[in-house]
Formats: sequence, C-alpha cells, structure tokens
Amino acid sequence: MSSLRSIRVRVNGIEREGQVEPRLLLVDFLREHLGLTGTHIGCDTTSCGACTVLMDGRSLKSCTAFAVQADGREITTVEGVAADGQLHPLQEAFREQHALQCGYCTPGMVMSALYLLSRNPNPTESQIRRAIAGNLCRCTGYLNIIAAVKAAALKLNTRRAAI
Amino acid sequence: MSDSGREAGGHGATRSSGRQVGLALPRKEDIDLLTGRGTYVGDLQLPGMLWAAIYRSPMPHARLRRVDLEKAAGLPGVVLVLSGRELPDYVVPLSPFPFQSRDPFRAGNPTIKFPDHFCLARDKVRFVGEPVAAVVATDKYIAEDAVELVEADFDPLPPVVDPEEALKPGAPLLYNDWGDNLFLRFRVGADGEEAFRQADLVIRERIRSSRFTGTPIEPRGILARYEPTDRLLTIWSSTQIPHILSTLLEDTLRIPGLKVRVIAPRIGGGFGQKWGYYPEESLIPLLAILSGRPVKWIETRSEHMMATIHARDQIHDLEAAVTKDGRILGLRDRIIADAGVAYPVGGLASIVTTSMFVPGAYKIRHYQAEVRAVTTNKAPYGAHRGFGKADACFAIERLVQRVADRLGLDPAEVRFRNFIQPEDFPYISATGSRYDSGNYPAALTKALELAEYEKWRQEQARLREQGRYLGIGIGLMVEPSSSTRMGSYNSGYYSVTLRIDPMGRVFVLTGGNDEGQGHATTISQLVADELGVPFDDILVIEGDTLECPYGSGSYASRFSVVGASAVILAARQMREKVLKIAAVLLGEPEATLTMETSRIFVKDRPEKAVTLVDVAKTAYYAIFRLPEGVEPELLLTYHYRDPNVGFQPDEHGRVPMFSTFPYDANVAVVEVIPDTGQVKILKYVSVHDCGNMINPAIVQGQHVGALVHGLGGAMYEEIIYDETGQLLTGSFKDYFVPTAMEVPNFILDHLVTPNPFTPGGFKGAGETGTVGPPPVLCNAVEDALKPLGIKVQKLPLSPSSIRDAIREALPRAG
Ligand code: FES
Ligand code: FES
Repeated sequence: MSSLRSIRVRVNGIEREGQVEPRLLLVDFLREHLGLTGTHIGCDTTSCGACTVLMDGRSLKSCTAFAVQADGREITTVEGVAADGQLHPLQEAFREQHALQCGYCTPGMVMSALYLLSRNPNPTESQIRRAIAGNLCRCTGYLNIIAAVKAAALKLNTRRAAI
Repeated sequence: MSDSGREAGGHGATRSSGRQVGLALPRKEDIDLLTGRGTYVGDLQLPGMLWAAIYRSPMPHARLRRVDLEKAAGLPGVVLVLSGRELPDYVVPLSPFPFQSRDPFRAGNPTIKFPDHFCLARDKVRFVGEPVAAVVATDKYIAEDAVELVEADFDPLPPVVDPEEALKPGAPLLYNDWGDNLFLRFRVGADGEEAFRQADLVIRERIRSSRFTGTPIEPRGILARYEPTDRLLTIWSSTQIPHILSTLLEDTLRIPGLKVRVIAPRIGGGFGQKWGYYPEESLIPLLAILSGRPVKWIETRSEHMMATIHARDQIHDLEAAVTKDGRILGLRDRIIADAGVAYPVGGLASIVTTSMFVPGAYKIRHYQAEVRAVTTNKAPYGAHRGFGKADACFAIERLVQRVADRLGLDPAEVRFRNFIQPEDFPYISATGSRYDSGNYPAALTKALELAEYEKWRQEQARLREQGRYLGIGIGLMVEPSSSTRMGSYNSGYYSVTLRIDPMGRVFVLTGGNDEGQGHATTISQLVADELGVPFDDILVIEGDTLECPYGSGSYASRFSVVGASAVILAARQMREKVLKIAAVLLGEPEATLTMETSRIFVKDRPEKAVTLVDVAKTAYYAIFRLPEGVEPELLLTYHYRDPNVGFQPDEHGRVPMFSTFPYDANVAVVEVIPDTGQVKILKYVSVHDCGNMINPAIVQGQHVGALVHGLGGAMYEEIIYDETGQLLTGSFKDYFVPTAMEVPNFILDHLVTPNPFTPGGFKGAGETGTVGPPPVLCNAVEDALKPLGIKVQKLPLSPSSIRDAIREALPRAG
C-alpha cells in the first residue's frame, strides 16, 4: 500500500524491522510478519485477551494497538517466556496444575499472569482473579489457572530466596 | 525442558508397579501449547495463500434482488469475487447426512423437512449473518476492505422471531414450499392415561430456557488447497468431525473424481459448535478451486456470534401426575424449540434427544412427549455441550422443584422418592434407553452432606426472619453420553489403528479428534498399560483423514466410552501378536510371557527376555521366523462396536441411542440481594460420577470447565434478537461469558460406579457439569424468593430481571 512506515521493534530480545501500513494491528505484525503465531486472536472487541503481550514490560492486548505504536519499544510474546529450553516456572505451574486444555487462551493468560507476578510477587486469590479478568477461557473454568499462578508465585519466591 | 510427566511415572514404569491409567499425569500436549507452538488453523501459511472474507446478510428476512460485486472486484489485491447466483453447476445444496439419507428418525413418525441451502444465498436471506458473497484477496485487510464495497439490494420480508408466533396460521414463512414453519415434529413415549387417573393431582408448569451457546475462544477457521492433477482437495479446518466433513464435501462439490482430505490441526475448543456442516466449509474450498491458490478464512468473533450455531432455547409445557407424597407417576411434555434457520448442523438431533430424556434420574414409567422444532429468522441451532440433555434436565429438575413446592415437601426428599434405584440398573427407560449404572441416592446424599444442607436450612429460616433471602437449589442431572443414530453419520463404532515401527515406537491413529480434552495423554496412558510400553514412546495422531481410520470425530463425550474401548482392545490384540513372535524368538510358550516397558520376558525368569525392537525387526525384516498365520509388520486396526446402543427400533419404535449415563448431583446455596437483584453463590457442590477415570486431573478439568459453561448459561449468557430479527449480542461486549471474577470455588467430589459395558469401566466425562447450574441455580433463587411467591421464569438470572420480579412481588407480599 501507498504509505508504508518503517518500524523497529525489539521482540523477545531480537531487533526486528518491518515495513507496515499504519493501520496494521500489532497482533498481525507479530503473527503475519514475524511468524510469531503463539499470540492468538479470539475477538474483535478487546474482550478476550488471547492476544496479550508485554510492551516495555506492561501487559497489552496486541489486537488493540497498531504495529507503528510499537516502534522503538520492546515486546515480549509467549515465545519469549521460556529460556534456554527451560519452561518458565509459571509455565511449569500451568502444566502441573492442569491450567490449560485447548491452549488457545493460554499464551494470553501466561502473559497477563507474568505481568501480575512482575509487579506483585505474592498476589492474593482475588488479586489473581482481577489480573486475569480480561482474559477469557472457555475450557478450564479458571480455577486451575488461579491455582497455577499461586503455585508459580511460590516457585519464584523459593527460587529467589535460594539465590 | 521440564518434564514432570516422566517423573510422575512415564519412564521406567512397569505394568505391575506403575499403572498409568488412574494417574493424574501432566499432559503431553502442554509444552507446545505453553510456548506458543500450538499450530491452530489460523497459524498455517501456504505458498501463494490468499485470504477470504464474507459479505453477510444485514437483513433477517428478505428477498435478495441483486448483488453487485464490481467495486469489490476492482480493488487492487482482490483476486476473486463470488455471489450465490454464480456458483458453478457442480455445487449442490448442503446435505445433512452423507448419501442424502434424509430420514434418520425412523421411530416416532417424524415430520421432517430439509430445505436446499447453498453455501451462498441465492434468492432469499433468512438470518442476519447468512453468507451472501465472498471475496478473495492477497491479504486479510484487503479482503475485509473489499467486503465493504459489496453492494446488495434486498426486499425486506416480515421477520419470524418468536417460535410460538411462527406456528400460528398466517405467520410469515421462511420456506414458502413448506406451507408452515415446522422444521420437525416428533413424538415419543406412550400416553400414561392410567397414571393421570391414579394421581392425586396434576401439576402443570411451563419451563422456558434461553438461547446460549459455547463460544470457543478460537473461532472457526478453514484453509483449503486444491491440486487439480490428482483432484485432491486438502482442507485444514477447526472441526470436530474431520472424516464426516470430508464425506460431506465430496458429496457437495460434485467434481467427478474429487477426493477430499481433511486435517483438523490443533483446535481451540469445540463444545459442539464445530460439529456440523457450515456453508463456509464448502465455500472456502470452492474459492480455492476457483482461484487455483490456497485460500484461508478465519472467522471473526462478530461473525461467530451471528453465524455459528446457537443452542438451548426451548419451551416445555409439562404435566405431571403426582401423588400427595410426591411420587411422579406420569409425565407429558409438549416441547417447542426455536431452531433458527434450517441448516444441517445437528440441531434436530439435539431436540429429539431432549425428548428422550426428560424423565431424567427418575423412575417415571409413563411418559410421552411431542416436540416441535420451529424455524425462525435466527442463526442455526445445533450442538452445545450437554446436547439436548441439558434441556431435558432443565425441564425435569425445575419441575421437581415445583412439585416439592406445591406439595410442601423437601425438594431433596421428592428426589429420593422418585430416583431410579441402584438395584434397577441396567434400567430401561420409558423411551427405551438402557441406563448402564449409577447410584443416585448416594450421590445426592453426599452432595447434601458436603453442602451442610441441614445447617443451611436452619440458617435460611433464621435469615428469613431478618428479611434476607437465602435459597438452596438441588438437582441430579443425568447426562447420557456416546450417541449413535443409524442412518446418520453418528454410527456407533470407533476405529483405532496401532502401528509399531521397526524401532519399537508406537503410533496410535484414531478416528476421533481433540479440541483440548488431552487425548494424546489419555491414549498414551491406556496404551502404556495395555501393551506394556513406555508412555513417552507413544505418539497419538488424530484428525487427518488420510492417515487415520475413518471415524465420526469427537462429540457426545464419546472418546472415553467407545474411543478408549477401541484403544484398549487394539492394544490387547497387538500385545498378543508381539507375544506370539517373542515366543518363537525365546523358544518359550506364549502363555509364559509378559511385556513391560517394551521388554518381553518369561514371567518367572525375567532375565530370559527379548526387546520390542527385536520383535519388531523380526516382523519387518525376518518374516521367515514368524509363526504360522502371523502377518508381517506390527500393524492392526480395531473396530469397536458400541454394545449398549440399538440399531433397530423395538416393537414400540424405541431405539437406545446413548451408551452410558454419567450424572452429577449439585447443591447450591445462594443469597439474593433484593435491592440489586444480585445472586451471590455462597456454596456450590458437585458430586460427579463418570465411572472409572483414565486421568483424574483431566476429568476434574473437564468437569469444572463444564460447570462454568453451565454457570454462564444460568447467570450471564443470553443470545438476544430484537423483535425485528436483529442480533443484539454480537460480541463479547454484550454476550457475557464468565470471567475469573465470577467463578465460585466449587466443592467437588466423585463417586465411581464403573460402566459395565466398556472394558475400562469409563463413562463420558466432558459434558455432565454443563447441565446442572441452570436448573440448580434457578431452583436456589426460587427457593430464596419463596416468601415473595416468585417463580423464576427466565434465564439468565440477571440482576435486572430478578430485581424487576422482586419489585413486582413486594407490594403483593405486603
Ligand atoms: S483478540 Fe485481543 S482481546 Fe480478543
Ligand atoms: S484452555 Fe481453551 S480457552 Fe482456555
């Protein structure tokens, strides 16, 4: 299209460049341009949270931002959470607590929970519920997700204490 | 990479010391899903791939005068445009069943009609969202722009919105040649006039549910590729029924020699909504054929709300013949279901199913029902977790509440007096189904105990004196699973292919597929036990019609019933073959051998052993050593036939269609806040029986997820059309599914009565929970508001409707 913009975005620690239309949504930039399809789309009204990523460390519904708004920023997607072939303790906890079924909401849930834990290492149950209230899941009924976030907080704190 | 599955007993587990079945193992699926490697349809890319978008009817009911696609076609990047009148001759109307068998319900003298719907509307549109034209472009954004440029002219027709109005003479017609709006009429059971004569009183109640549905977070999606030389059409579809879809497509796109391969990749939830045959499923392949390039279409949530099936929405006019002490002698039901537009998406089967199971958990020997499914200008009606049975349970569990109220009896006591008793199993119901097993009194007793029923009754009395409204709701929901209906694609068997390669790796291919249930894990557990191989050496492949044996997919909680049975028996057969070959290699009689962790040895001399690899290499590379009658290779297919369903109607025209009968006893305690109409759930207990469990963590996950679907329907979710036929709930902004804020901490327990008709003793496990919350929470709210004499008439239990009912009742109650 006529008015392509150049953007530079650091995605999961790697500098990426793109020529994008100003109207291109961030989620489509991640999925279609960069091939990072772990970030999902579940609605068109900013309701489901399947598209949640971190931008400069804060959670963001990537269906509700333009790619150009990420220019010069740092994005973390679900593909960037595990490191060196090791699941993140939060991902481990999701697996141990059976906090996912179809997995479609899972990347968004993981990113929202990650954001919560980055700001609040000891969240209460109601804080966890509130933190993922913008992420819809139709499979699990949420209880195991809440349990997983609790378990992850414990793991992370134990790990921190051990260092 | 974390691999707690291994620690939990995958590696080194043996048949004797480490049975996998029954363990809450973490799932094989999870690592990919947690790291963004899920690969759903929307994630797939093919070289040269184009995007499709669909222009949908903005009108509920109208004659289609003209569709002008010129502007859309002129947009740079648009490759193809198509309207209904331009469909090639080889496209025929969508067919509900393979081979155009249009009379699936031989029993019950049905009146059933099928219209000719094409994948794009040609002359008339019948609901907001009906596909009218398609555009194909080089990217998603251009395709959506092009849809904006489609111009269509309509002559509006009067909409048909209310199902009862639709039945009246003179109502506008959706299908002129039908002469009325009656999609299906079906009768079941026999009139129990005698029961009604013997009764002390007859209680008449109208019970009405609302329209709601499953809304998986992954909407539908299709990617199609056509290879003209082989006439091979490959479809990646987010479907619950890959094989059936391939057959239906070969039937709808009548290109001579066309072969269809369907691949259901990772699926982001189904819940019944991906069980059916939608127009897009032939439209997108057609666009791929016409454009000569792969075409992808991913449904938006807005499209999903308007064009993917809706469910529930029935009116039951019930008459119960009861004795003074609360026994129900007979039951008559007249059911009207709002079936929406008459698409072949399974809705009729769901409505017929309702009519079979209204007697629920109760020993009601005289039962008769008449169902009328009415076509209206709404999205099609179809399967949703709890398929028809949820509607039946809603009717009976609400009715039992009313019976108790009328007679001044405890609603738990009325249930105990009417239950089918443990010694009655297998129990043949009034509609001819064979209930396999269960213990309803024990389940309800346990649920009442966990809920501290007596304590809350006292609390209720105390709070009533203070003008507070506490209520207790009860229900025992029987949710038949694993269905069969002859002449439909729902045909009562399940096939599993087992292959062991020369290196001893085990491949399990089935005719089912997975939408999040964890088959890769549960099948591996079953095979590990039955065959004696390590959990991690097993690969499960489903959802590819080219590789897997034919099958009717995943629905009706059938996997753990017929699927798991097929897996077990296939593995046993394979084990026998392996032991036969090992017997030759070891020079020992077969009967003395056993296999654990892929090692075959003499039971009392474990050092005398060969490995599965030795056996496999013999079967592939040294076939001269194979014993007489043993075929080369380690490959077999097992076809499991369901023994507990019927294929022929009995002398009363009854066919047992469901194989097993899991159930769930629920008790809920709520407080209603009169000023706001808010319902606070103070306690919710569920005691569930699905027989033996393959993986209790997965069962628990399925069950809680199902309860929350039910909670949504009870409290928040409703699909609303206005009186002109416009959809008012077109997004998650107005169709409220529960979030983490609303879900109570359920108190859960299990009862295990093994299914005597399956080798593993399993029943269905994925749907039962969905059924309880609507009737149980309605019962609880009605119980809370008893001092005001309020009968709950409507789902969902929204604060506004409850507040209105209270405001209206308060002056009356003085
Ligand atoms: S896709 Fe972004 S909130 Fe639903
Ligand atoms: S796991 Fe399926 S939507 Fe959450």
